[in-house]
Amino acid sequence: MAELHIIGQIVGASGFPRSSLFCKWGVHTGGAWHLLSGLREGQTQVDCPQASDTAFWSHPIDLHYATKGLQGWPKLHLQVWHQDSFGRCELFGYGYCHVPSSPGHHRLRCVTWRPLGSWQEQLAQMFVGGGPQLRSPDVIYTGADRYRLHTVAMGTVELELGIILRHFDKHGVES
Amino acid sequence: AESLLQQEALAEPASRLQGLRDRDPLTRFDTEVRPPVRLVPERCQRLRCRDDVATPQVDSGLPTAEEAYNFFTFNFDPEPLEEAAEQKKERRFVEDRGVEEEEEEGGGGGEEEAQVEDGGEGESGSEEEDKEEDGELFIDETAQDFLEVKKAEYLGYHSRVQRESEVLFTPSLRTVPTSCKVPENMQPRYLEEEGLYVGERPPVSLANQNILENRILQQDEKWFGDDGRVLALTDPIKQSSTRPPLFNLEEDLDPALQTVYRKALKTRHASRYVAGLGETAGRCQLDVDVSGLIFSHHPLFSREHVLGVRLVQLYDQHLNRQHRNITGLLTDKVVHAFLLVLLLTCLLCLANRNTRRLRDVEQEKDRTLLKSTLKVWKEMKALREFQRFTNTAYKLHLRKQEVNQSRDEQDFEEEIQMELVELQGELEEEYQRKISQYRQQLEEWKAWRKKQVDLLTGADDEDEDEQEEKDLGSEPPKPEPPERQELSLLEQQVREKAARIRRKPGEPILVPEVTLSEQLTYKPFYFFPPFSDVARRSLFVKVLYNDKEVSRTDRRPLGADFRVHFGQIFNLKIANWPESVRLQVFEASGSSSALLAEVFVPLPESTVLTGSAPPQELEFSSSQRVTFNHEGVGSDVPFSFEADGSNKLTLLTSGKLSCCVSWAVGENDIPLAPPTSQTPGGIHGALRQTDAIACIGASGLSDMKRLSKWAAESRLDPNDPSNVVLMQLLTVASSGEVQVPDYFRLEQLQEEFNFVTDEELQKSRRFRLLTLRSQEVVEFRNYKNVPAVEREVSEKVFQDYEKRLRDGEVVDTKEHLDPHRAVVAKYLKKIRESVMNRFLIAKHHFLLSDLVQEDEVPSIGVLGLNIFKLAEPKRPLKPRRKERKKVTAQNLADGNIKLLVNIIRAYDIPVRKPHPSKPAVASKSARSFTEAFVAAQSSQSALHGNDWPLNQVQVRPFVEVTFQRSVRQTTTADGPNPCWNEELELPFSAPNGDYSTSSLQSVKDEVFINIFDEMTFDITEDDRERGSTVHTRIEKHWLGSVKIPFSTIYLQSRIDGTFKVQSPPVLLGYSKERSLAGEGGYDSVLSLSEGSFVTLFITIQPQLIPGESVREKFDSQEDERLLHAAEAFQRDAALRFPGRPCLTTVIDISGKAVFITRYVRPLSPPQELLDAFPNSPQEATELVARYVSLIPSLPDSVSFTSICDLWSTSDQFLALLAGDEEEHAVLLCCYFLAMGKKAWLIIGTAIPEGPTAYVLTYEQGRYLIWDPGRGQYYGQYDTFCPLQSVGCLINADNVWFNTQVYDAPMRMGFDVSRSKLWKPFFSRAFPNPGLSSVQPEELVYRRVDKVAAAELQDRIEKVLKEKIMEWRPRHPTRWNRYCTSTLRHFLPKLEQSRGRDVGDEHRLELQSMLGDYRISGFPLNVPFSELQPIVEAVYSTGVHNVEVSNVEFALAVYVHPYASNVLSVWVYLASLVRTR
Repeated sequence: MAELHIIGQIVGASGFPRSSLFCKWGVHTGGAWHLLSGLREGQTQVDCPQASDTAFWSHPIDLHYATKGLQGWPKLHLQVWHQDSFGRCELFGYGYCHVPSSPGHHRLRCVTWRPLGSWQEQLAQMFVGGGPQLRSPDVIYTGADRYRLHTVAMGTVELELGIILRHFDKHGVES
Repeated sequence: AESLLQQEALAEPASRLQGLRDRDPLTRFDTEVRPPVRLVPERCQRLRCRDDVATPQVDSGLPTAEEAYNFFTFNFDPEPLEEAAEQKKERRFVEDRGVEEEEEEGGGGGEEEAQVEDGGEGESGSEEEDKEEDGELFIDETAQDFLEVKKAEYLGYHSRVQRESEVLFTPSLRTVPTSCKVPENMQPRYLEEEGLYVGERPPVSLANQNILENRILQQDEKWFGDDGRVLALTDPIKQSSTRPPLFNLEEDLDPALQTVYRKALKTRHASRYVAGLGETAGRCQLDVDVSGLIFSHHPLFSREHVLGVRLVQLYDQHLNRQHRNITGLLTDKVVHAFLLVLLLTCLLCLANRNTRRLRDVEQEKDRTLLKSTLKVWKEMKALREFQRFTNTAYKLHLRKQEVNQSRDEQDFEEEIQMELVELQGELEEEYQRKISQYRQQLEEWKAWRKKQVDLLTGADDEDEDEQEEKDLGSEPPKPEPPERQELSLLEQQVREKAARIRRKPGEPILVPEVTLSEQLTYKPFYFFPPFSDVARRSLFVKVLYNDKEVSRTDRRPLGADFRVHFGQIFNLKIANWPESVRLQVFEASGSSSALLAEVFVPLPESTVLTGSAPPQELEFSSSQRVTFNHEGVGSDVPFSFEADGSNKLTLLTSGKLSCCVSWAVGENDIPLAPPTSQTPGGIHGALRQTDAIACIGASGLSDMKRLSKWAAESRLDPNDPSNVVLMQLLTVASSGEVQVPDYFRLEQLQEEFNFVTDEELQKSRRFRLLTLRSQEVVEFRNYKNVPAVEREVSEKVFQDYEKRLRDGEVVDTKEHLDPHRAVVAKYLKKIRESVMNRFLIAKHHFLLSDLVQEDEVPSIGVLGLNIFKLAEPKRPLKPRRKERKKVTAQNLADGNIKLLVNIIRAYDIPVRKPHPSKPAVASKSARSFTEAFVAAQSSQSALHGNDWPLNQVQVRPFVEVTFQRSVRQTTTADGPNPCWNEELELPFSAPNGDYSTSSLQSVKDEVFINIFDEMTFDITEDDRERGSTVHTRIEKHWLGSVKIPFSTIYLQSRIDGTFKVQSPPVLLGYSKERSLAGEGGYDSVLSLSEGSFVTLFITIQPQLIPGESVREKFDSQEDERLLHAAEAFQRDAALRFPGRPCLTTVIDISGKAVFITRYVRPLSPPQELLDAFPNSPQEATELVARYVSLIPSLPDSVSFTSICDLWSTSDQFLALLAGDEEEHAVLLCCYFLAMGKKAWLIIGTAIPEGPTAYVLTYEQGRYLIWDPGRGQYYGQYDTFCPLQSVGCLINADNVWFNTQVYDAPMRMGFDVSRSKLWKPFFSRAFPNPGLSSVQPEELVYRRVDKVAAAELQDRIEKVLKEKIMEWRPRHPTRWNRYCTSTLRHFLPKLEQSRGRDVGDEHRLELQSMLGDYRISGFPLNVPFSELQPIVEAVYSTGVHNVEVSNVEFALAVYVHPYASNVLSVWVYLASLVRTR
């Protein structure tokens, strides 16, 4: 019966090799969580920063969850994409972060990574774009079998989330 | 000693120097400038450094005060002084040394100097230095002046020792006598001797001990114990070592602690490793032996081959059987058993019988096999003869084994006898059993019989007896004794069987033998195509391990006998768990190769080892179809052996691959197989968690009982988190449910940690409300402020929603009065919901233009025009229309939107008639022009009658506008052609406060514009007061109404025009001033139309932006080319005439785009409509139009919440009984075509409905425009025709777009053949491809159901009466039965005449009957769809509002049924006021 409000925004991303980025995001929860309102996934606009290399999206996130248990606390998973001058999109990074469990305002920095691929793929990526992507994006947040991946670290995505908890204390969860 | 001393003397300065050199220069820098290296050069250096220091001082500017003083007071004679000082210093230094020699030794000169400076002469030293500086600065002298060379100082060793001995004490090495150590006058006491334990002291050498004792004695301290020894603790060091000594580390280390060095590993990206294979990687080895291949069928087989192979197969079977020799075995067994039977009687009888049966079966098989072998051989021989050559070497020999005839016969007979005896025994047994059964039954029967007899003869009551009899039940049948079977019959049976399955006695035993000895006939052989093909073909086998090719065999040519021998063994060293081993057989001809078949080799058990494993023969086949044009039979191709081609046979390529897969045997006979305990795939990380047993390493225990036993034995810790899964499993097992649940639990521990149960969460009203709101469920879409606390959410919130959900399933028959309509309504609702869902999804997809509003950059042309406009002269009398600001829907709230209705004027309002006037005209021919005119005249003249209360005016009409239950009215005007020019403002509120576009579109409310006549009655009772008081009662009488749906206003944004007032056919007490129309013929259309008209202007303030139509591209089954052409046509039309509607494709009810002409097709109307007026085609036409208009109209935008015009076909339309104008128009057009008229569909705009469809017919040289929704027709030049513009015309063949300058029907020509005026879609360049119609061949109409209509009539009447009483809560409602019955009688006539021109006649009739009443009332005619609109229509007339105390009402309802449930409902409502 506890409720969780996640109100915030995906501020932007920095540290990526190229600008003109956009971000696909989603929230993954366990089975105990029910979305009361809000969108649980979305995509930001493409931001081409003029001044610095930080892309700003300021994409609002507003979710209201009801839960019957703590398992499967919501986690945000992100995919940062790059749109090149031809309008093609290629993957720049995967990342995920847990939604903070303490109430209040949080600034999160979610680091991202990208699958490396074989040298042929890297070469192809260098000249014609594209690149290896996860066949099942669940891997972003499940962690199973990740040890087989070879990845490159990419930039960071900055998030600002405000967390409001309700009735968690009734069930013995101190926050 | 001398030399030693010298050495020391030499060493000393050296050591000092060393010390100097070693010193850290930085520490010296504080006092001196630089570390001196040697004594002599030190000076020089020092001086140089002084220089260095001093020079910058001068350079830096002003000298200090002291320097200045020195400068003037210096006497420049420092030499002797310094020397003296030096000497003094030296002397003192020597003295010091004497004392501090020992400690200072390592210190070095630096410290000496430091000491010197720190000492008493420190100050003088600095002074000296100062002086030195000065000297250096100002007197130019050489270094020698300051320096003095001295020899190294040396103190003799002896003198030094001597001196030291004065100061130092050296304890002696001699043993101290005990007496000195113990206190005086005491004997030393030994604790050991007294029996006390004294531990062992740590060992100290005697010399050291002595030295220490001596020293302690010297120091005079109490350090000695009673025994005279130094006090000491016992030796703390343990004698035995706690840690065992580690010798030769390598060998004896506990194996558990041993480490192994491994090389860096390259990770392999495979999922499953063989467990525990770390160091043994590659030790597992699988040997795949591919030995050969035999084709049992190959595409290149000739017919002969096929037969040969079959022969061989049969022969193999035969050999196989012979090898096992089942028949012989069983025969022996039978014989032996028989002998035994004779001896041991029937103990083994049963077993033997079974054996015999088995033998019989086997024997039969043998015989059939032999027979079929022979048959195949015969066929083969026939074939060889036929083709006159032999290309296979198969040959069948039949070896005859001659047998002894007599003996054989004897055997045969014996056998038969044996069997017979056995059978007899069997039967006897059976018979005995039956007999015993029979006896038992007989006993029972007798007992029953006896009882029966007893009861019958007994003296008990008859009743009881009967009772008993009943209890006994029916009489059991008397058992029949069984019969014995005839022996001769038995023997016959046995002999028959023997003849069938066994060799006849004396017949030779045939032993077939297949050899490859047949002579091949060569001559045609080389020309035989398959052979050359065969020679070219070769085969190889690929070995695939875990779907990866690991190796392949060499290519081997396909032999003429279709056998390939490979004989290759592949050793596979494996690291991954074997999942599959596959062999792929490839056939190569030339350089290309094709996959022939795949053979899956079963994975060997780990006990199957190379050497001991038998080779397997794996059959394979391929479904590939191969055909040849030569003799080869091909594969998957039917062929026949018969000449006539009958008895076809289809063979697939198939064969046998002999191979062997086994685990290799390594050195020392260790099998190189993976451990067996591992289950394949169990090692996978994620799986491991779910597999409880694998998790704790006890894999392979699949039996639950054994598992629980094992768990009990191994004493698992139930609290260990790694055992949780297992413990859960065990609790399930121990609770009796042994089977494992066959579902998979995703989050196993969730339940334990749940805060609340699912049900509780579901129950939460607040959460439900929030969820429903976010799901945009209609009722909650715009719900604001969901309470924060659960208890504040009332249960009532969901009532509507739940009701709707429930109603969705249950058809409400009460509301619809008619089961068919209810079903239709339900169906319609379903369609509506699915379409709505589709649009809801589409609504959430935004285009860029939806989000970004970008003002267009004005072009030069526009700018220029605007500049010219500035220069235009101002014309204040010609105000320019200003564009109103458009408001988007989202920033609106209740009360912001107003509906503006501007009522300008009305024409031809009916005028009053003096009510009790005499029946002036009793003419039946009311239709004739003259008489109608006379009637009008007479009515006018009657106005001046005496009884008219306020007889100045004909009529005093006013307009009342009702919208959303708010009512506004205009002032009252006079006369039949009043002019009000008034603006009425009505508030608008959207349903549920939702002002979104889709919601506004679906507003179903209508604007009712009712025209009333205001009547004033003078009710002043007393004539005397008439002069001073006015006492009147005002009544309003309904004259007619105009209904305009809000959705039309919203979509059109303004409605401007003159509308025909829907007035009842009969208005009691009123008449038309001019009734020019009347003649049913087409002549009348030339004149002014009948009826009243009202000019209106309606708009919404502020202007709302109507929603855009759905952008979705609908899929279509039309030809691509046609669709392109349609698009181009429409685009072209929109470019040339932007305002004109042009339709080529429309969306059908399933959401597919359909070309519009497919909708037009002649369809015959219901026969009874045509039969009604057999002589008058005009009447029939009108009746058909009326029929169509009686089908209820339902705008798509209302039902589908969005601008999306769905066109249903006519049969769907008739089934749904609801549709848009288009459906009406299509149906009418189809009817007209069927009636032989020239008819077109008009796509145009009309008032008030906006874009719509009308029907155009060409009759007697004139064009008529039909309004399908109202069933009325207009001439082309009719001013009051609601059709405003014509966009295109459509018939079954073509679409014509209007390319004329004007689009008003009055100003244009309808001749579609003139290409100047009409642009056809299908032209010579793009002819009509002959589109088939989507309409059905003919419409099936349901019969007229008069009973249902009568029933409906009663129910409507009942409901309406109830409603009227409900609307008059403060007054009693009386019903005038007489009047009602009269009205009821009258209504069918109205229907017959379709509501025309019976008014006078009827009125007269009525008034003659009810002379004493003042009647006002009218009949209403509505098409029936639901009950609610009828009630609304009755309410809007306001008849019930009469508040005179003695008012009476009359209500009559008549439902006229047409075919297919189309119902015309007439409601006649009248109020009667008694005048006397």
